[in-house]
Amino acid sequence: MPSLLLIIFVTELVVQLVNTFGATTINDLLWRIYLTLPTPLSLEFAQQRKKQKEYLAVRHDLKATSSQDEFAKWAKLRRQHDKLLEELEKKKASVEAARTKFDRTLTTTRMVSTRGVQWFLPFWYSKEPMFWLPYGWFPYYVEWFASFPRAPMGSVSIVVWQWACTAVIALMIEAATAGLTFVATKQSQKVKQPVPARSEKKDS
Amino acid sequence: MSTAVINADDDAMEPTLQSILDQRSLRWIFVGGKGGVGKTTTSCSLAIQLAKVRRSVLLISTDPAHNLSDAFSQKFGKDARKVDGFENLSAMEIDPNGSMQDLLAGQAEGDGAEGMAGMGGMMQDLALSIPGIDEAMSFAEVLKQVKSLSYETIIFDTAPTGHTLRFLQFPSVLEKALKKISQLSSQFGGVLNGLLGANGALPNGQNLGEMMEKLEALRATISEVNQQFKDERLTTFVCVCIPEFLSLYETERMIQELANYQIDTHCIVVNQLLFPKPGSDCEQCTARRRMQRKYLDQIEELYDEFNVVKMPLLVEEVRGKEKLEKFSEMLVKPFVPPS
Repeated sequence: MPSLLLIIFVTELVVQLVNTFGATTINDLLWRIYLTLPTPLSLEFAQQRKKQKEYLAVRHDLKATSSQDEFAKWAKLRRQHDKLLEELEKKKASVEAARTKFDRTLTTTRMVSTRGVQWFLPFWYSKEPMFWLPYGWFPYYVEWFASFPRAPMGSVSIVVWQWACTAVIALMIEAATAGLTFVATKQSQKVKQPVPARSEKKDS
Repeated sequence: MSTAVINADDDAMEPTLQSILDQRSLRWIFVGGKGGVGKTTTSCSLAIQLAKVRRSVLLISTDPAHNLSDAFSQKFGKDARKVDGFENLSAMEIDPNGSMQDLLAGQAEGDGAEGMAGMGGMMQDLALSIPGIDEAMSFAEVLKQVKSLSYETIIFDTAPTGHTLRFLQFPSVLEKALKKISQLSSQFGGVLNGLLGANGALPNGQNLGEMMEKLEALRATISEVNQQFKDERLTTFVCVCIPEFLSLYETERMIQELANYQIDTHCIVVNQLLFPKPGSDCEQCTARRRMQRKYLDQIEELYDEFNVVKMPLLVEEVRGKEKLEKFSEMLVKPFVPPS
């Protein structure tokens, strides 16, 4: 078992990262990865893609064909179009159902492995000291606060450790985003030529 | 569609309705198309031709505009009546909208309704709000009559809107509605019974259970009819159109819809074809002829598995027995344009 300190830190890190990138983005990414794996679902998805392409081609043809001048051709295309559309809708529905299920599983797993752990561990190890503060270095109220709520006096409790991790990670992420944004804007400013007429973009 | 193949000994489908006359198992024949393309004329002609080879034929118009009377110059009503000059051909005209009201009204009067009309009205509204129920009711009514009358073949001259076939979806709709109503009555049954007195009698002499039973019976009848209509040995649909874009478009849509409902169709009657005399200098006629030919070519190409019957546009109205008989000949013997 790796150190509890580390587990708490990693959990907080994951939570913060998920919050930063957004759960939907991560779900989308995982879904895309999942689709590239050789599963029956990915096969179906590929088929749907193919059908969609076919459908678009037929629709293009249909639009290009005059119903008044070439009725027979148009009607045949129309039949094909309707049939493909129906099949496509069916396929789409099944793929969408799979996606919903996938999302649900993923969300549940994520919730249990982050929020669950986040709540469960402090509850379970609330009386255990994470580490001891050097004796006599800190005044009483600091020691009291560090052992909040139930860890022995003079130690750092799991809850406080969690707080500390969260605060530090949040700070670091903020710093990283700010740095990245700074670099990005700098670069884009370098690439962009100054445009003389700027009056349109006043509000952005 | 497979009946279309049965009598196709050679590659091309013959341009007549002979296949319908030959198919003795046919019991229901629908004639439909856009308004004004000659549905009534076609159905009357078909009826005349069928009467020659069948024991008894009934022609039913479900079109509220009722053109049968005009075509035969004879008044027809709600009950089957022999057509003058024919031994085994009868005709009737039914109003798809009226019969439901009649039915409910008749029921209410029969039991001597008194007081609390609001409640009965609510039940009526409830029943009437089921989509397509009026058409379905009238069809069920007709079919009940027709069953007892034992006609060999029945021809329907349908209303032009193309919603004639909506009642084919009816059993599933009614099933849902019945479920809802029975759910309601089981939920509020106690309250209703307390309100209405013993055995759940509705104020105007109707009874909730009885009503449900009636609707259930209706559903059973219609789903049986549905089965028959989907059987290509028993039922076929004759599409009537004119060689013009909109008519053709509607016909194509109708044929696809029929395929959805699994109703067989393998005959198209193309009406009102112009055959100007050779050397005619009528500008409109030749222009129109050209346009018609264009669409005729398209029809030939698209419906190669259909019997495409070409009927000329006559210089006179097709009304009365003799003219109809003459016209009907062309359903069997292809019209040869004067050359």
